[in-house]
Amino acid sequence: MLRIFTAASAIALACSSSAFAADKTLTISVYSFSQDEFQELVYSPFEAICDCKIVVETGNSVERMAKIEANKESPVIDMAVLSTHDALGAARKGLLQPIDVSSLSNHDKLYDIAKDPLGDNMGVGYTFYATSIVYRSDKVTVNSWSDLLSPELAGNVALPDITTNQGPPTLHMLGKAMGNTDTSLAAPIEKVGESADDIVTFYVRSSQLAQLMQQEEIWAAPVGRFAWGRFKDNGFPMAWAEPEEGQTGGMNVMVMTANNGNEELALQFMDFWLSTEIQTALAMNLIDSPANSEVTVSDDIAANLTYGADTVASLDLLTPSTILDMRDSWLEQWNTKVVK
Amino acid sequence: MFENRAIGLALVLPAATFAAALFLLPVGILLSEAFRTDAGWSVWSYVEFFQSPRNQTVFLRTLKLGALVAIVSAFVGYAAAFAIVSLPPTSRGRMFGLVALPLMISPVARTYAWLVILGRTGFVNRFLVDTGLIETPIRILFTETAVFIGLLQLFLPLMVISLVSAMENMPRDAIAAARILGANWFQVFWRVILPLTREGLVIGGTLVFTGAMTAYITPAILGGSKVLMLETLLYQRVTVANDFVAASVIAMILIVMAFSANLLLKQIATARNQR
Repeated sequence: MLRIFTAASAIALACSSSAFAADKTLTISVYSFSQDEFQELVYSPFEAICDCKIVVETGNSVERMAKIEANKESPVIDMAVLSTHDALGAARKGLLQPIDVSSLSNHDKLYDIAKDPLGDNMGVGYTFYATSIVYRSDKVTVNSWSDLLSPELAGNVALPDITTNQGPPTLHMLGKAMGNTDTSLAAPIEKVGESADDIVTFYVRSSQLAQLMQQEEIWAAPVGRFAWGRFKDNGFPMAWAEPEEGQTGGMNVMVMTANNGNEELALQFMDFWLSTEIQTALAMNLIDSPANSEVTVSDDIAANLTYGADTVASLDLLTPSTILDMRDSWLEQWNTKVVK
Repeated sequence: MFENRAIGLALVLPAATFAAALFLLPVGILLSEAFRTDAGWSVWSYVEFFQSPRNQTVFLRTLKLGALVAIVSAFVGYAAAFAIVSLPPTSRGRMFGLVALPLMISPVARTYAWLVILGRTGFVNRFLVDTGLIETPIRILFTETAVFIGLLQLFLPLMVISLVSAMENMPRDAIAAARILGANWFQVFWRVILPLTREGLVIGGTLVFTGAMTAYITPAILGGSKVLMLETLLYQRVTVANDFVAASVIAMILIVMAFSANLLLKQIATARNQR
């Protein structure tokens, strides 16, 4: 027994000492989608040049934010990628520190709206997406956000749930189509509530939406451009609407956790991810639309992304502070008027 | 069983400690959240929860669907269990295996299959249109009907298994004796089978009711946010609103409902027995 114990202790000691001997480690918290591609295009190439190991933590934003908050005193995560409003929420809770953008050689190459979307350099935008309406062009024509609630689409349309990233922007555009851009979203929520019986479902994942379209449960739905690839080759004539009120969308940002002690390596990684080379690779593989303005891609690729200064400038985005400040009130209204 | 009671206790201790430390304690802490307010201990969170018309709807829907699934599965379960125990032993084993088979398939896969079957171009609608019963496909997905069908399929095997076990323990000749004494089939069921299998019904009923009430995947996929149930509401409160107090309130309600269902079923079974 004693011999087994001694052997086990020796192995444990050997493992721990080898861990100490390992290179530097960078722990990142990211969305779980396309991680195989991220590993190949971003993480592995960076590991090769930094002589370090990247530890990847994935999950939905709530789980990841909760983890960052729970380890506030001794951060486990060094850098994270979040939506702008989640990042602003984390910043307000004191979980983040400003990013030293002067040490990011690629910062100047970013589109202006990606340079400091949260203020005080609390985050740097690394990708955008447009949100518009994907629809069956053989069944309907969509020229306005208000067409979502038209008689032609009654019983054949799905809308994003208020709790998703696409939900509030969609309601914002519905309000705009109604001539009401009040951030309380009261008018569009009321309107959706009146039409609730005509809406097949309020979806929570774009993957779910692709299946509903495939099964002909729905003919139209608002969706982020990043999901377009799931629809365009589904065997039906599909179109991406360019509504007269414009397109909305969102941006994701990189953030630095407060007091993580690994700032230098995290900055190096952020700079690498924002470089023209890596942003181009991600764009070419249709993973993320570039925030780096120097990225050039072919028309074919561009057609599947949210690409180019004009497109980026034309997006009608809700500000992160609006989303963060109004979220509870929107949810309450939604639960009263829509989910009865 | 053990000559020395201490040995028995010592054997129970590791499992009991494990359950207490890693289950009872965390659950207790979580649930106490729902009684803690800034001003001290209070039931205000519960009052607030039930004041919302939406929450009332969700609570009643959960109760209704849970009870409906339990009742229908009891009816179907008795018929299936009776048929199974009437078979010769070899066939009985096979049938029992077939009933248990769905339990070995992930609920996610089973629920996704319903998404296809119940869809507008799915098997059910095609059959109804082809046979001329309806002219255009009807909407089944994202309705209470879809959630009911999904939950029934998910939990019916638990009821059948509980009832088969109970019926196998029934004296072989009880039914024949009742028949010889002139009872019709309804009387045989009501006065002989039901009292003798009440333990199975209580266990099956509790498992099905509790399972249906606390299921997440099926209502989330087949009902979506238009058919919220307590479990899907709980998820929404935690992941979106970060509202752990409401989530604790819901968890407590679910626990109380599960215990109440068990007590109620036991009560009904005992009352029947005493008559």
